[in-house]
Amino acid sequence: MTTHKTRSKSTLAGLVATAAALCYGTPLQAQEWTYTEAAKPYVGTTIRVLDEITPLQETMRKLVPEFTEMTGIEVEYELLSHGDVINRGQADLFSGRGYYDAVMLHGLQMGPLLSAEVLQPIDDMLHNTALSNPNLGLDDLIEPANDSLVNYAGSQYGFLTWNYNQIYWARADLINNADEQAAFEARYGYPLAPAETMQQMRDIAEFFTRKSGETLAGETLENDFYGIVLEGIPGGTTFTTVWEVFMNNWGGGVFDAAGKPNLDSPENIAALQFWADLWKFAPPGQAEYSLIDVPTVMGNGIAAQSIAFSDFVLGVDRPGGGSYAGKFVYRGIPVNSNSPESRSAGGEPSLMALSKHSKNQEATYLFMQWMVDKDTQAKLMEMGGGGVPIRRSSFDLEAMQEAGRQSLYKAMIQSLKYVQAKPKTPGFYEIDNAMSPLVQQVGIGSMTAEEALKEGQRKVLSICNDCLLTD
Amino acid sequence: MKPLENRWYPYALLAPAFLVLVVVSLVPFLFAMFLSFHQINFGRIGDFAGWANYSKLMQDERTWNSLWVAAKFILIAFPLQFILGLGGALLLNKRVWGRSVILPLLFIPTMMAPIVVGLLWKVMFAGSWGLLSYNIVERFGFLQGSSVFSSPDYALIALALVDVWQWTPFMMLAFFAGLQALPVSPYRAAAVDGATPLQMFIRLTLPLMAPLMVVIGMLRFIDAFKVFDTIYTLTAGGPGTSTEVPSLLAYRMSFEQWRIGESAAFAVLVWIGFFILCSLFYHVAKKKLNAF
Repeated sequence: MTTHKTRSKSTLAGLVATAAALCYGTPLQAQEWTYTEAAKPYVGTTIRVLDEITPLQETMRKLVPEFTEMTGIEVEYELLSHGDVINRGQADLFSGRGYYDAVMLHGLQMGPLLSAEVLQPIDDMLHNTALSNPNLGLDDLIEPANDSLVNYAGSQYGFLTWNYNQIYWARADLINNADEQAAFEARYGYPLAPAETMQQMRDIAEFFTRKSGETLAGETLENDFYGIVLEGIPGGTTFTTVWEVFMNNWGGGVFDAAGKPNLDSPENIAALQFWADLWKFAPPGQAEYSLIDVPTVMGNGIAAQSIAFSDFVLGVDRPGGGSYAGKFVYRGIPVNSNSPESRSAGGEPSLMALSKHSKNQEATYLFMQWMVDKDTQAKLMEMGGGGVPIRRSSFDLEAMQEAGRQSLYKAMIQSLKYVQAKPKTPGFYEIDNAMSPLVQQVGIGSMTAEEALKEGQRKVLSICNDCLLTD
Repeated sequence: MKPLENRWYPYALLAPAFLVLVVVSLVPFLFAMFLSFHQINFGRIGDFAGWANYSKLMQDERTWNSLWVAAKFILIAFPLQFILGLGGALLLNKRVWGRSVILPLLFIPTMMAPIVVGLLWKVMFAGSWGLLSYNIVERFGFLQGSSVFSSPDYALIALALVDVWQWTPFMMLAFFAGLQALPVSPYRAAAVDGATPLQMFIRLTLPLMAPLMVVIGMLRFIDAFKVFDTIYTLTAGGPGTSTEVPSLLAYRMSFEQWRIGESAAFAVLVWIGFFILCSLFYHVAKKKLNAF
């Protein structure tokens, strides 16, 4: 009898538990897991994390004390500039010193670092029920950026933490001007609107390029005005923009399907020529412009359109961000209307990766996991007044509903559909270093696209023949 | 026979400087040499590589291009700095009006960090918004559709002129100090003999100033070859590779591409080149100019 009662009770309890689990859609264990519990063995541990300094990470820095309070794990969260975070982070990883437990890595760094075998796969920790947050919801991370970035040879090497992406950026006040609209339609035979295609972007660039003394939106120009501004400095992201935004959209790319250099293909030549032709409508100093100068030029109101990193846009198009703030409109990267099936966008998805030489791998894993946690990301967006999400669900947050930002966020969503991490190639830096002066010379008219890409193909072949890391 | 302390005393005085020199100069140089003969995979020292790094470096056209760019840079900047520096020093030596104000002002460009100099000239020459480039170069129709630092023809000249702006005052001050220290009696004797100012300059000033001019000239020559910050800030080596000097190339090899073996080989080759050049310079200066 007693046995029966006990069995009945336990059956009932089981049913209640199952029902509760079904109602909440997660296993019971998932509800019990907390960072505080998981971190108990590591209380008092100090970890060092290196990240890049942009407004996004500065907001994250404000949240880090919450992690410490919750877990007892001290975090030295160091922020350095783009160049320094690459140099210092890589130096630490390559040297095996293990000063940093986790380092922020741009996708382009993955090839060299995986090849040097200095990154720790996190699969064991992901499957460790004591460490791994069952509610982490990694399937919410934006794809294909996440998958193309963190996975290699069947292992995962960290979490997508920053989702840098490029977008199309234009002056709404000019595009919406009735006189300009009429003049544009009369000249090109279709209505003036933010560019959906590369060819429209070129027409708009040509249309708005004006000399001082001419009229722009009813005002006489005191200075020359330019139809477009793009990055043109050798180095920076000049070449990767040409690659991802133009070559890929023309159906080309640096490598063929087998990972062999494929620079002098007809598609790449046409794409590079198109990019160089846009320079006719750009400010004279474009060859000096870095990815930071481009948003500055747009913010100063001397160009009509651009392709820029969306996180820089956040710094310009905000209250107090200059006299043109609030006068912009955004779209995803325009498609090449001649090969819409090759649609692509530029970006630099970045991850927080665990150092193979870290002595605090579990504690660091907890922090990395906390960074991408849905709650942390929600707080990050809220505290930063919006941002560049890594999760699809972040776009639904209240912080992302600000009316003035909707055009920008929609543009991010459009671009992020196509943003992929760079292919994992150990010779990435050498390839970029060989190619960026060449493409710049095409931009300034010192070389033809064909000459530059033939030269580029020769140079890249001298760096690698099978350029991609293989499993 | 000298007392024992007299024999070791000079060496004891030299020892600290010698030790510092060994630690900061010789040890890194020997290590660079060691690295240049090894395969280095992303910062980790591998097998002995023989001359492979040197051979790869020699076959890279960027190496030769950078040396040629440096040569052109020096050929433009160095003579201007030298002539303007000496000319300015001679003027200052004439007790020109306002000398006490000019002298401290001359220190300003030399004391500025090169990166600040780079930013300052970026504001002057930046395409489409630079103070000089917009108001002079572009407004009057020069360089249509381009800018000073975007032009393969003008970028290096502009960079050399920035170097002239920064370092001519240093040359001027150094030469001025030398002129101030010259003995007066030979000039008095020459004046009594009826020598013209030009004769005094050629027969007295130049020979007496030769040791200083050789040393200052050599230092400036070496320093001009090492230029990095201003170029990194203003053109990043572009357009194309038209302003990529050896320091910038070596930086990229080491810190962007992790080609440590090749960059170490580059450093060794540059050192050997300068060692030979300076030795020749020293011997010529000693024999022909009585400079040392």
